[in-house]
Amino acid sequence: MNSVSRWHPRTRQLVNWTVTIGSVLLCLLVSPTRFPGMELLGIGPNWLLIWVVAWSVKRPAFQGAVAGLVVGLLQDAVTSPEPTHALSLAVVGLVTARIQKQRYIQEDFISVALIVFGMSVLAETIAIVQFSFTGHQNLPDIWIYHQRIALASAILSSLWAPVIYYPLNRWWQQIKAAEQS
Amino acid sequence: MFTVNRWWERYGIQMSLVLLAVGGAWTLRQTQGAALTEVYQVISRPFQVGPVKPERLGDARTVELQTRLQEVESQNIKLKELLGYVGQAKVKGAVVAPIIGRSADQWWQQFTLGRGSAQGIKEGDIVNAPGGLVGRIVSVSNNTSRVLLVSDPSSQLGVTISRSRNMGFLRGDSRSRAVVQFFDKVPDVKPGDVIATSPYSQMFPAGLPVGRVESVDMKKTPAPVAVIELSAPMDYLEWVVVSPKTENPK
Repeated sequence: MNSVSRWHPRTRQLVNWTVTIGSVLLCLLVSPTRFPGMELLGIGPNWLLIWVVAWSVKRPAFQGAVAGLVVGLLQDAVTSPEPTHALSLAVVGLVTARIQKQRYIQEDFISVALIVFGMSVLAETIAIVQFSFTGHQNLPDIWIYHQRIALASAILSSLWAPVIYYPLNRWWQQIKAAEQS
Repeated sequence: MFTVNRWWERYGIQMSLVLLAVGGAWTLRQTQGAALTEVYQVISRPFQVGPVKPERLGDARTVELQTRLQEVESQNIKLKELLGYVGQAKVKGAVVAPIIGRSADQWWQQFTLGRGSAQGIKEGDIVNAPGGLVGRIVSVSNNTSRVLLVSDPSSQLGVTISRSRNMGFLRGDSRSRAVVQFFDKVPDVKPGDVIATSPYSQMFPAGLPVGRVESVDMKKTPAPVAVIELSAPMDYLEWVVVSPKTENPK
């Protein structure tokens, strides 16, 4: 805990940015995998959504929205650009930051898992709206399809959320404590 | 002027970092993440299955054939069978590609393949596997490519029933199912019929097996609908064959 505060501020900032960007890239690279035990109905956890929630849960709304936007664009890069993921992840970042969980619940694990569950459902709802605007025929079938994957994705993401949240949160808390001292 | 200066001093670095991050992510998005998938391909290379690993295919008949093969022959015969499949394709430029990743999100049903433009794969190429049609290539980088599966809801292709030649439109439904909407009000179709790509399909050559009819709903409006079980076992595939797209004779 104390070792980080003993570092030179520039080093601390540099390492902080490396950890932040490195964790985003790690989430991106893990997304196409389907390790046994980590998938349900062929879907894996939405690692990038978990990252956005982990970032935004203790940060101001603007930072949450920008992080969601950037991570959404990155997710577009590895899947398909239309419809864009940036919109849903930006809204997720914004809403998570506005919840201001720390004012009501100090406990972290379960509350973050619940937030990830809710945000996953929210992101899928935004996806359904986006798909309906792209002019796909068969809207009812798209609805049913997305509802199915929304539940599986929400369950998986909320179960695996602590894996991303716990180390990142510890690191950012250390940085924050070191900056304030 | 002074207020602008002070605002810039306080938020300048933050703003430029934000702009840098958004700009970088936009660039990656426009290049379809070629850099990212290349890195993924390099990292996942130790985990890629060699062709000698036995596959578990989902079709019951195929499992029966596999069991018989495995009882009598060795894994070496499996590799020869795979190479023999490429030979039968009789298409110049067919590339055998390993599947190194699935979709990076839950909206699209895609595969990431470990072969790319360096091996001759182009956008629009057809992807087949033992079993039937898998999909088509939607984006290519140097050593990787991305396949949009037939089971994705946005995949639409013209199909025909091999037995009665009735035509219809196939749309993906879930990982192993698709839905065909027919053009006729009373199509000649029954469960067990084989579905293949039609000569009028613009994106796929004719005659590729797609699946087998599971059930028919004659009462659906505006046209009868059949549920297809896709013959390529998407969940268990590890290798696919990519062949260049050929134009259907008009």
